[in-house]
Amino acid sequence: MRWGMVINLAKCTRCHGCIAACRIEHFLPLRMTWPRLIALETDDGFSVDVSTYPVRCNQCKEAPCVEVCPTEASYKREDGIVAIDSNKCFGCRYCVIACPYQNRTYLSRKRNPNYFPEHAKTGFEKKGKQIYPHQVGTTEKCNFCMERIDAGLAKGLKPGIDREATPACVNICQARALTFGDLDDPNSNVSKLIREKNGFVLHDEYGTEPSVYYIDYKLGGAPSNKAPIEAQTGSHIQHLSSVYAPSKEKLAKKNAD
Amino acid sequence: MANREVIYSTCKSCHGGCGVKVTKEDGVIVHIEGNPNSLTGGTMCSKGLSSIQHVDNPYRLKYPMKQVGKKGTGKWKRISWDEALDTIEAKMRDAIDNYGAHTVAISQGTGRGYNRYTHRLARSLGTANIITPGYVCHSPRLGLYGLVTGYGRLYCDYHGWGGEFPKTNIVWAKQLEISSADSEMCYWFMKSLDYCKNFIVIDPRASAYATRATLWIQPRPGTDCALAMGMMNVIIEEELWDKEFVDNWTFGFDELRERVKEFTPEKVSEICWIPKEQVIEAARMWAIDTPGCIQVGSSLERQANCGHTLRAITCLMGLAGNIERPGSMISWVLPETGLIEDVFLELPYTDEMRSHVIGIDKYKMGAARTCNPDTLVKKVIAGEAPIKVWFSVGGQQIVHMANTKEVVEAIEKVEFMVHCDLFMGPMCEAADIILPAAHWLEIDDIYDMHPRFMIEAHNKVVDPPGEAKSDHWIFNEVGKRINPEAWFESEEKSLDHQLRKGGLTWEKFSENLVSGCWGPDQVYYKYKTDYWKEGGGFPTPTGKFEFHSNHLESLGYDPLPVYNEPGESPVSRPDLFKEYPIVMSTGFRQPWYFLSQYRNIPWLRSFMEFPQCQLHPDTAKQYGVEDGDIIWIESPRGKIRQKLHVFPGIKKGVLMATANCFYPEEPSEGYHGLMISNPNVLTSNDHLDPMYGSPDLTCLLCKVYKAKDEELTEEVFRSEEYGFVPPKDEED
Repeated sequence: MRWGMVINLAKCTRCHGCIAACRIEHFLPLRMTWPRLIALETDDGFSVDVSTYPVRCNQCKEAPCVEVCPTEASYKREDGIVAIDSNKCFGCRYCVIACPYQNRTYLSRKRNPNYFPEHAKTGFEKKGKQIYPHQVGTTEKCNFCMERIDAGLAKGLKPGIDREATPACVNICQARALTFGDLDDPNSNVSKLIREKNGFVLHDEYGTEPSVYYIDYKLGGAPSNKAPIEAQTGSHIQHLSSVYAPSKEKLAKKNAD
Repeated sequence: MANREVIYSTCKSCHGGCGVKVTKEDGVIVHIEGNPNSLTGGTMCSKGLSSIQHVDNPYRLKYPMKQVGKKGTGKWKRISWDEALDTIEAKMRDAIDNYGAHTVAISQGTGRGYNRYTHRLARSLGTANIITPGYVCHSPRLGLYGLVTGYGRLYCDYHGWGGEFPKTNIVWAKQLEISSADSEMCYWFMKSLDYCKNFIVIDPRASAYATRATLWIQPRPGTDCALAMGMMNVIIEEELWDKEFVDNWTFGFDELRERVKEFTPEKVSEICWIPKEQVIEAARMWAIDTPGCIQVGSSLERQANCGHTLRAITCLMGLAGNIERPGSMISWVLPETGLIEDVFLELPYTDEMRSHVIGIDKYKMGAARTCNPDTLVKKVIAGEAPIKVWFSVGGQQIVHMANTKEVVEAIEKVEFMVHCDLFMGPMCEAADIILPAAHWLEIDDIYDMHPRFMIEAHNKVVDPPGEAKSDHWIFNEVGKRINPEAWFESEEKSLDHQLRKGGLTWEKFSENLVSGCWGPDQVYYKYKTDYWKEGGGFPTPTGKFEFHSNHLESLGYDPLPVYNEPGESPVSRPDLFKEYPIVMSTGFRQPWYFLSQYRNIPWLRSFMEFPQCQLHPDTAKQYGVEDGDIIWIESPRGKIRQKLHVFPGIKKGVLMATANCFYPEEPSEGYHGLMISNPNVLTSNDHLDPMYGSPDLTCLLCKVYKAKDEELTEEVFRSEEYGFVPPKDEED
């Protein structure tokens, strides 16, 4: 089992929803950002490319951050997630330098801790101190929402399939540009996408073997515009309203016509 | 053990509609995410998620206040709701009794969901001088769709309920992917792209999907009508039009054919500054690969030829038969709850009200139910429009209207102004009384941002801060004082009234969360049935889809679409073009802001601290400005400063400025930095669309040059550690 993410560059709209979802999920202090968006806007003289690369900790198989950590605060879990034990971290920041993707951030002791600097902590911040405390003077990064994964697995849920066990940014993405699943399972949603859409990793040449893959393609070009039957019935939204009764008879009649 | 509670509601951070799941712990919101069992499948964007920082925001208005100094000086005194409402009542009564109800103006923004209440308030007072941003956003589309098809609302069928998704998707001057604006849902649009063969983006600036589209056309701002005419020319010349639809269900095809004859791809190429091949290619895709949808953006409504541009685009839809087909443009069958807007339509719109609408004599399509705001400004300045009371809710007219200097002058002349809002801002500063309003997480109400196939419930999650009240409550209380018969005993009674056609009460609906009509219950090809007309047809005077409009002709307009140059363009004003050599649009909008909102939300402000404008690298080089520079943008009306983003995705020779910006952290004097970066300082209110009165906000001329360091004196330039901008990291 090795958790991984596939990011669809064709679909990302630069809405920053993933970042906001992460801030809520982890009660992130102001300016602390686990996932980031990198704008790539180029013109090679023939064509223009306006892209947004959502980046976050790549949870590398060969993680330089883990190798350089003098206290074993950064460690690899069996499921491939690179985690940080903030009790062991003393803020040397070797890992911040070692990460070739610059996906680690040091939480400064001098950082102004309040969302509204001239005011007291908000209710959300106060709650956050209890629910998801952050340790100043340590390094932080994306952890694939491992708390959700662990709690979900304990309930028998499948990360990447069941929302409760899936990273918050994946759930929230309006464009459905993020997919999460098991890279070791060749039939998982992520493995299939990587295979079918030529998934790639950032800076393969570093040899870090990231668990975050990217896919990219031209929009349009679909072979068919026919709607699958569940889209026609609207069955995936019908349970919403007790006012609305699914009209199976109507559909049957429609198909008969 | 902490007490956890989950409440489901509906987001209203843009035009909204996304299902929301909120978790509270001991009464405090600790989590927001999308409701997975909703129309939007549990997805949300940064705007909606950051609502936590609205609810928790220490800068919220908490009490009614009155201005005790000169307008715009920010001297406020807390007053009670009774004093506020008594004063408003007295001022309104005085205006109505002594000068006539039309001297009371009601204004609104794009909406926290109060649209139907502003209109009901106006009608219950007896005035139709309603000031809305509609004439530069959505209203012209609705009017023109109504004119051509007889039914005012054509939406894109991205859902697959009729068995097909759009095969050709056109996105015309719109970024639906960043907000669910104008009754369309970004979630469904993006889903439909998986089934789309041709994805066409028409935009001078690369929106998120432009460079991955099948075809991306970058017309010169303001020339979209010519492009639509050119596409029709190709479709007709190549005989690609939908013969069955055009022969049987349309009126005026021969005249249209004659009209578009001159718009050859060569001519259009010259007008729009695009290769002629793109006109041909787009036309073929649109007409051959049907069904298709055109997602029309409001940038086209911020042009003084908007009436004809939208008419031309609507005709283009009809020519390809992309009307009422599954996967094309469709008018939704409403849910059982019917038209929620009946809550204002049920009050009469009298001839007396109509006769006093400002601008109705000139802008006959637009100023029918609401006034023409630019005419109102001119008339107030000239002392010709006796607006005694201006009751404003939400919208920042002072920011979004053309020619800011004149708007400020007019607003300062209004004798008595009230503004309801969540935060202090330019419009508040111009008011005599401000009323604190509630956020969507703090109200019970019906979500119905423009009628469509569903309505949803806003369920109250937390109490508003201090004495803040829902807009619904405010309207009900103000309305009751002037015309008690027209208003309700309570908000809940009003909601029950609005839901009665669906056999629902608020209590029940609040639990259901939604009332909708979708899947097989939606009806396609209504014109082939008795739906609109016995024996089939459209609900227009001719019973057909009208390429040619006798009604427009009777109002003195051209019955067919016609291309007109913008008021200030390289072609219409070559003299000005010499001094102002860059075509300017104020159409740049970012996904994390909604119009003038959210610059005081730290999570959102962190994504772009200072308003940006964009220039192509070649254009920037030509005029000696560099990426990251604070530059002056100047037009004949004035000059502003924005930060330059050198962007290869914008058409050469075009500048795209961020719209609607002010600085909440700047002082009251100067209306919170209203003149620093707001591009409406540059726009003109002299050249308006003859039908709708819409000004040229997205097609003007400007020049640029780098701002000198000594010119950057305002607070916003001094340091990054102020107001709503999070402080920079300090290492240790």
